[in-house]
Amino acid sequence: MLSSPPVEGGGAWRGYVLGALGLLLLVWGSYWGLFLAPAESYMGDVQRIMYVHVPTAWNAMLALSFAFCCALVFLLRGGWGWDCRLEAGMEVGVVLSTLLCMQGAIWAKPTWGVWWDWDPRLTTTAVLVFAFAGILALRRFVDDPVKRAVWSSVAAIVAFVDVPIVYFSVKWWNSLHQLQSTPETVSGAFHWPLRINAFGMLFLMSGLIVLRARTLALRLRGELGPPLPEPGRAAAALPLEAVR
Amino acid sequence: MSTLGVIEGGWEFVWGAYGVSAAVLLLYALWVHTRYRAERARAEREALGSPPPYAGEG
Repeated sequence: MLSSPPVEGGGAWRGYVLGALGLLLLVWGSYWGLFLAPAESYMGDVQRIMYVHVPTAWNAMLALSFAFCCALVFLLRGGWGWDCRLEAGMEVGVVLSTLLCMQGAIWAKPTWGVWWDWDPRLTTTAVLVFAFAGILALRRFVDDPVKRAVWSSVAAIVAFVDVPIVYFSVKWWNSLHQLQSTPETVSGAFHWPLRINAFGMLFLMSGLIVLRARTLALRLRGELGPPLPEPGRAAAALPLEAVR
Repeated sequence: MSTLGVIEGGWEFVWGAYGVSAAVLLLYALWVHTRYRAERARAEREALGSPPPYAGEG
């Protein structure tokens, strides 16, 4: 039986607080990375792009992993809130992945001599962007909220297969892209701006997901508002719950 | 670039990367905020039972 559509129960302030904290940390970390951290021995000042590129990569993968978890929970337990969080996670993940490709292109030009190369890491990342952007686009064409939620959850799980491929691509194939660095392989002088920006991006990403999920819950409430969809339609028996 | 495999200069790329990042993140954050406010206003209008501003026009 369907329960009430998701409701806006407040809590958007958490999104604003997280976002503001994230932006502050990003400003601080970027200032450190741009003006205080030393230049790298071989890449020189160009290496400073790492302080914004790597946190973007980590958090793009994290946002898409969050979307994957939401899709799984929705299919296993139901709940409109998970559908809203799924879309929010996918959207923020696509924005960050697209930004990641742009930053990567800007870094590639002075280091590789080209803006883009069909290298395994770059190609699998591009596939990731198009796969999730495609799911988001196709969601707009499905009017039935139940069908849309079930369909996009399944599609998100399928598309998520590319995330570990992106991560391991530099190990599995002969890639132009460098291997993952670890704290042992990165000089201590580079750690702090990288960590500050990583947390800044994490807070900003979380805030954006919270706000988008709230917005989508409001929209879905308008969509599902009385009368509720007839029970008995495809997947309508899912125990859908209200957004807390 | 020097002949020793060391990249010299390149600040324009650094500023480019940070500029693009700031622009994308700020514009997206602004869009998210605008969408939230618009959706919240619509929900409040519906909750009060008042017609949308365009109702009855034309």
